[in-house]
Amino acid sequence: MRNRFKSSLIATGIAAATVSAVVTVSMTRTTGQVSRTARTSDGKPNLSGVWQANNEANWDLQAHQARPGAVTQRGVYPYAYAEVPAAPVLALGAAAGVPGSLGVVQGDAQIPYTPAALTRKQENAAHWIDRDPELKCYLPGIPRAMYMPYPFQIVQSSTKIEMAYTFSNAARAIHLDKVEGPPDDTWMGHSVGRWEGDTLVVDVTHFNDKTWFDRAGNFHSDALHVVERFTPITPDALRYEATIEDPKVFTRPWKIAMPIYRRLEPNIQLLDYPCIDFAEEFLYGNLRKQQLVKHWEGETIVVDIKRKVPPGDRLYEWYGK
Amino acid sequence: MRRRLLAVLGVGALILAVIVLVKVAPVGVAGQTSAATGSATKTAWGDPDLQGIWTDEFQTPLQRQAKYAGKELFTEQERAELDNQRAGILRRDQRVEIGTERDVAGAYNAVFQSIKHTGKRTSLVVDPADGRIPPVTPAAKQRSDADREFRLALLQATQTCKNHEAACAGGKYGPPSPRRAEIPSFYNTGRLNRSDNPEDRSMTERCMAAVLPDFGGYRRIVQSPDAVSIFYDVGQGQGWQRTIPLNGGPHLPQSIRERFGDSRGHWEGNTLVVDVTNFSPKSDFMGARENLHLVERWTRPDAKTLEYSVTIEDPTTWTKPWTVKHEMTRQDEQANRIYYEPRCHEGNYGLPALLIGTRAEEAAFAKGRGPNPATKDSATDFGAEGGVDALTGN
Repeated sequence: MRNRFKSSLIATGIAAATVSAVVTVSMTRTTGQVSRTARTSDGKPNLSGVWQANNEANWDLQAHQARPGAVTQRGVYPYAYAEVPAAPVLALGAAAGVPGSLGVVQGDAQIPYTPAALTRKQENAAHWIDRDPELKCYLPGIPRAMYMPYPFQIVQSSTKIEMAYTFSNAARAIHLDKVEGPPDDTWMGHSVGRWEGDTLVVDVTHFNDKTWFDRAGNFHSDALHVVERFTPITPDALRYEATIEDPKVFTRPWKIAMPIYRRLEPNIQLLDYPCIDFAEEFLYGNLRKQQLVKHWEGETIVVDIKRKVPPGDRLYEWYGK
Repeated sequence: MRRRLLAVLGVGALILAVIVLVKVAPVGVAGQTSAATGSATKTAWGDPDLQGIWTDEFQTPLQRQAKYAGKELFTEQERAELDNQRAGILRRDQRVEIGTERDVAGAYNAVFQSIKHTGKRTSLVVDPADGRIPPVTPAAKQRSDADREFRLALLQATQTCKNHEAACAGGKYGPPSPRRAEIPSFYNTGRLNRSDNPEDRSMTERCMAAVLPDFGGYRRIVQSPDAVSIFYDVGQGQGWQRTIPLNGGPHLPQSIRERFGDSRGHWEGNTLVVDVTNFSPKSDFMGARENLHLVERWTRPDAKTLEYSVTIEDPTTWTKPWTVKHEMTRQDEQANRIYYEPRCHEGNYGLPALLIGTRAEEAAFAKGRGPNPATKDSATDFGAEGGVDALTGN
């Protein structure tokens, strides 16, 4: 009897929850309040909405200590830990540093590069400003688009899930139905998805070799194959996993994982980040008839930094106050 | 036992009510549905279903030619006849003196030009009833005249003006104009005959050509209950992703300006109505910039057809609003024939090449080893020559 009572309570509870969900839906539609059901009408976890990773993975997938600048140089000491910010970021002071991170690489936290690929990764890191496709506003690729420090939007339908990214106005359609792949390599890959219970599994192929994983020079070849898993932790948080396989660059598959959070601001929406425009000076500034940056050596920017302290803001003036 | 049965029945009734609610609620909320358009295709959650890959398979001129005045639609026979005439246009196949600007402009000859079949409408413009865009305001006329004058000044020393080509109409031939050093009076979006800066080149050359509204190319529409996603494939690898919120919220603050404006959608029966404001001064739709206001209506009269109409308003550009309407046809989903990765910028060798080339010409000229770059024309599109299209009159 007690069991029976309990089970009908549970059933009623479920039904009540569903009813309140339906009520919520119609409220959404009539009043414009942002609230949504935990599941779609076909019973899948409802991923629609604006999301964002909140971590340091775009700086470096691996665990790292904070650094004084995205670009550093030797200071007084010969030690790596005592480097100081270098010219390209110096004028930004403490805003130009790199935050530390526990890393998102799973297992032994290592990225299993082949020896040749490891050398290339280290060169990439040393030439970050010249090589990172992010600085040129190139399409970020997958998985990097998922954890760049910008919001992205999921529009979830029954046979397609569109992901729209702020950075570079990038997008991808995840096909849950049968489609032909693209006839060429792509920056964002070709995404084919399926549901495994409440987990959205996305198989991404057809990559070129031009995107990176982060600002630390982690890279791949055109043999990249990514398998992503999106699993709801709560209606407002997902566990995101990406298994990365590329026999030309890595000795074995490896995996990153992180939570991705729903942006809960009631008026959240994607805003344009028109970075093609933003990157023109960086890319083509040396080709202007009258250059804005005065020191170009060929395609290399030689940065002069002029930081003018306004009257009343000099250090000794602070002490005088 | 009876209590249990009752409880189960009660739960069953609740669930049934829920199912009914799920099926009916969206329709009820949307109101005034089905009567107008009958049994429209619906999504699993009950919204009108506009999803799929869509394109206008037919060619329709934006404005109605004078010879079709008072005629809104072609007959089937007229369309067949026009198709027949238009198949004979060779366009860029004329060869001229090798190495001239006109010859280079013909590099993309007729092989690269596809001509779509003639559509049923004599113009995309359906309002005003004459199928013509309303006159621009005096201020807009002044703006575009001044802009044209500046562009002609930059062309002044070229063969284009010397030979009295159409591109120089209203201009004159003479020595390089001192105006070549001027900054345009508003943000340039077209090809200037100058490559001092990336900003002198057109938005197309800079991989930012896409504008809203757009009447060509392909769209992929994906919907959820709270948003409509439209990916625009507009050619030249310059497609873009648009996400239309359906949450009923207000437009962005006036201080935030977006290349493609700020879209707010809602359902009216089976029609998605989208209000678009907050355009950027850098966006340019036929001379309309930050004051552009669009009201779009997307609806699906049958499974294979998507009807799009947009009312275009900008009191600082046109004397009254005007409306464009056209139909798109559903494309095979499995074939997935949409160029969905806009990577023009990633492969843009053209823009730096224009700048590098001009710097090299300047250096050569300074050493007396080449012509003055100001005498060359990198602005004129000679490609449209080689026959008038009977449909468009161009």
